[in-house]
Amino acid sequence: MGSIINMQRKHAIVIGGGIAGLCAALELARFDIDVDLVEKGPALGGHARSLTCKATDRCVKCGACLVEERLQAVVENPNIKVHLGSEIMEVQDSGGFSVVISNEGKSTCSCEADAVIIASGFSLFRPDGKPYGYKRFANVLTNLDLERMIRMQGSVKRPSDQREPEKIAFIQCVGSRDAKTGHLWCSRICCGAALRMSRLIRSRQPQVTISVFYIDIQSSGRDFQFFLDGLRNDVRLIRAIPADVFRTEDDRLSMSYFDPTSRQSKDEIFDMIILSVGLCPGDDLKGLCSLFGMKLSDSGFVTVSDKTEYPEKHGVFAAGTVLGPMGIAESIASAGKAVWEAIRYLKI
Amino acid sequence: MTKPDEIMDLSQIDHGVFRSFPFLQDHCITCGICSSSCPVSGIDGFDPRKLVRLISLGMKDEAVDSRWPWICTMCGKCQYVCPMDIHIPDLVRAVRSMRERDKVPGILHKGLEAAIRTGNNLGLPKEDFIFILEDVGEEIAEEPGFEGFTVPIDKDGANILTTIHNKLVNTHTEDLKHWWKIFYAAGEDWTVPSDQWEGTNWGLFTGDDQAMKTMVGRIADHMDRLKVKNLLWPE
Ligand SMILES: Cc1cc2nc3c(=O)[nH]c(=O)nc-3n(C[C@H](O)[C@H](O)[C@H](O)COP(=O)(O)OP(=O)(O)OC[C@H]3O[C@@H](n4cnc5c(N)ncnc54)[C@H](O)[C@@H]3O)c2cc1C
Ligand code: SF4
Ligand code: SF4
Ligand code: SF4
Ligand code: SF4
Repeated sequence: MGSIINMQRKHAIVIGGGIAGLCAALELARFDIDVDLVEKGPALGGHARSLTCKATDRCVKCGACLVEERLQAVVENPNIKVHLGSEIMEVQDSGGFSVVISNEGKSTCSCEADAVIIASGFSLFRPDGKPYGYKRFANVLTNLDLERMIRMQGSVKRPSDQREPEKIAFIQCVGSRDAKTGHLWCSRICCGAALRMSRLIRSRQPQVTISVFYIDIQSSGRDFQFFLDGLRNDVRLIRAIPADVFRTEDDRLSMSYFDPTSRQSKDEIFDMIILSVGLCPGDDLKGLCSLFGMKLSDSGFVTVSDKTEYPEKHGVFAAGTVLGPMGIAESIASAGKAVWEAIRYLKI
Repeated sequence: MTKPDEIMDLSQIDHGVFRSFPFLQDHCITCGICSSSCPVSGIDGFDPRKLVRLISLGMKDEAVDSRWPWICTMCGKCQYVCPMDIHIPDLVRAVRSMRERDKVPGILHKGLEAAIRTGNNLGLPKEDFIFILEDVGEEIAEEPGFEGFTVPIDKDGANILTTIHNKLVNTHTEDLKHWWKIFYAAGEDWTVPSDQWEGTNWGLFTGDDQAMKTMVGRIADHMDRLKVKNLLWPE
């Protein structure tokens, strides 16, 4: 589709440069809207930038590579001005928005915007309080730590001694579906991500055995059944969440769990344990939303109106995981919807 | 209990029967962390996740007749880790309470029955009890530094009333001495009742609220009668 002419040039601010923010900025720019893209971190791309490609003999459609393409397009787009290391400091709402942006706390700039898209993403659950020894035992990692490790060095090694592990366990739903942490939701991406990751590791390091401890596998997609069937040969699936992890004298990890097949409690030794931690509301989402006079939902994500599925605040839209846990493809779709609503609002 | 490989009688499933239970059993997401944490999982096929499912499905006869609720030690570890905060020990107790009393496992049933009838789980007569206390008291008095020690039984207006666990006047009499020596060293004004002194309250384990009330009522009565303000109830 060619660009549609925007007679009186409109101006929008997109907050957050993850996949949702990048897509929102590109879509807005296509309508000749000037975009200020405000990213808190030192680089664009958000969480998805740390993810590793999980293709084995073929692409498994994880979506991780969709980010780089968008990132390049944003940087090259003349309608988009990127502010790195930047945050929103002040907002005045007078029909449009007068916004002060600070750059690494050093300088500030102000800009006027007709619409705002909040796309500041999620924070990962911090599992320090769970009984799995995260931060105490070097070989207990989160799913994101593992993604980064494989992205950097191509294979899994034990952080404590750089040796290749013999046995890895994944624990699913850490900090999701958990009323005690106030996170009752399913994070939606971590089952698929753990299983794809398991397959990737097995294809590169076939001597490694992998066990996945889960409640139920929440994953969808057309090819999922096929994927799961193939996986059963590769990965041991155990339907129970483990209770404790201890370090053994020879620096391995002993994990206790109830084995539903033998109907016995077991202490099994692993070399590494990966915690599939959940997607939670962004740490500063509350502060950010309050600048716009918006409250968060009970679960801590952006509140949307029942009718429109968008925030009730005029001129403010939301995209991606600020709305709740979702994957990359869904975040892209969500950005498309948010821009579509914004365009209608701006009467372009 | 239906063996795993037997065909279960699905007509037993009745989601209504336990609806009035306030223990959130229907919130169970079957994560299994309770079973992974439970110290007695695996004994006779018991694990808390299965028991919670049984209740959630409303399989009353299976649950009430099974040994499972009686295998649980009611330690509470499962509830501590349960992400849905299901009150598993309370649920276990509620299921136990649904059993006919004479089908409650022997030791608990007999102990509680004796306690209600005689004032203690052992059915120990008052004279024997006093004899044991005084005997232990005399042993303490023979130790250097505890000269003149006596056991103040039924002392009016004492500062502390203490109850006794039946094992302390049965197999563990040595353990009586630790508290008593501390009292002596601290110059504490304490007392112990001469009958109905039982500190354990097995109605807790059998799910018998009425019995629990009776046992607690007796202690309260001692405090009124002897005009004691503080209670030491180590059980
Ligand atoms: C271990 C792991 C594996 C995953 N695997 C997959 C997978 O295989 N497939 C899949 O589809 N999805 C996967 N996901 C999910 C995927 O990461 C998310 O769907 C995606 O990153 C969401 O994008 P987002 O733009 O909404 O948020 P984010 O990626 O969180 O981006 C938000 C951006 O906003 C910035 N920001 C935050 N606060 C502010 C602020 N106040 N001001 C300015 N900027 C701010 C952040 O720095 C960040 O750059 C995985 C996630 C994890 C953790
Ligand atoms: S979608 Fe995922 S698996 Fe496929 S090529 Fe991209 S990063 Fe690799
Ligand atoms: S996607 Fe899987 S691991 Fe993640 S919260 Fe849902 S069920 Fe748990
Ligand atoms: S821990 Fe709680 S939610 Fe999990 S299986 Fe046990 S009772 Fe159910
Ligand atoms: S309370 Fe019972 S079921 Fe729960 S952990 Fe203790 S013994 Fe197991």
